[in-house]
Amino acid sequence: METNGARRGLVIIPAYNEEQNLPGLLRRLRQLYPQLEVLVVNDGSTDRTSEVALQHPVRLLALPCNLGVGGAVQAGLMVAWQEHYDFAIQMDGDGQHRPEDIAGLLAALDRSGSDMVVGSRFLATAGYQSTAARRVGIRFFSRLLSALCRTPITDATSGFRIWNRRAIAVLAQHYPEDYPEVEAILLLHRAGLRISEVSVNMRGRAAGASSIGWMAAFSYMIKTPLAILMSLLRKREPGPSREEAM
Amino acid sequence: MTEHGQTFVFLLTLLIFALVLGLVRMRKITEHFAVLWVSISVGLLLASSVGFPYLFRIATLLGIPYPPSALFLLVIFGLTLLVIQLYAWVSKLNERSRALAQQVAILGERLDRMVAERERGKAG
Repeated sequence: METNGARRGLVIIPAYNEEQNLPGLLRRLRQLYPQLEVLVVNDGSTDRTSEVALQHPVRLLALPCNLGVGGAVQAGLMVAWQEHYDFAIQMDGDGQHRPEDIAGLLAALDRSGSDMVVGSRFLATAGYQSTAARRVGIRFFSRLLSALCRTPITDATSGFRIWNRRAIAVLAQHYPEDYPEVEAILLLHRAGLRISEVSVNMRGRAAGASSIGWMAAFSYMIKTPLAILMSLLRKREPGPSREEAM
Repeated sequence: MTEHGQTFVFLLTLLIFALVLGLVRMRKITEHFAVLWVSISVGLLLASSVGFPYLFRIATLLGIPYPPSALFLLVIFGLTLLVIQLYAWVSKLNERSRALAQQVAILGERLDRMVAERERGKAG
């Protein structure tokens, strides 16, 4: 295994209308992790997300239309795969995820030998815990996934995660579209990859509205379990061999 | 059905046949769907011109006492198959447009970087 300094990591930030929240996040990332490259994926924003991002030393993918968070993250993973990054991190552009926690994710990836580590806000009960109604939903998905993957998952919907090269290889090829956070866990598990969690703190959004409103949250609760069932029906994606991915 | 009614149905299916032929001629339907729709409209034409007597036999065969119900059943079944096929096609198109959008973004970024590097080279 290479030393920590020699490894290249890419922070993928899917951003849809995040002109207000991006500057603070990008400044903080630069301060804390000057060695990490940052890739903002503008998911067809209607505001000045691209212009704002380019005022910082980051790379910018500007999708020509809105693909949803799944399509945006996959575009970032394609770059990570093609350009031989050793690991990739996904974090939200809305300020919910704290850059300080990246160190913990990275350490957990090395320590656990997992292919993906998810940042969970429920392993320890500190920081933003979401609203009561949402917690019920998140817990439900987490139980469901824990049972299906036979590994404890407490925060299945968290979009703060890190992948090694093996996971990047799988997800750059196939990335779930509709409910990507939950389904991606299942997809990696079915490809024979290992998943674990590490505790992170989350904050409420800094500015703007969540992409999931009340009506959408309701339909999310109904559709996601169905989508999970559907993905169980699907043929397995063959995982890459260790050698191929390294 | 009266002769009058049969003529009416025949004219309707003829209209569909003409519409499909027109669309194929103007290349508004791709080959893939053209074959399908030409066969469908020819099938409808045949059914509406010479097929009526057979409807009773088919209904008896299916165990449906009321022949028009058998007709509806067959038509709805056929339409359902068509809709499913359309969904599959739309899914495929969706996947393709997603891949295209991603490639456009990736290539765009690469191009921007190359142009920026060249500008820097000129300036320096």
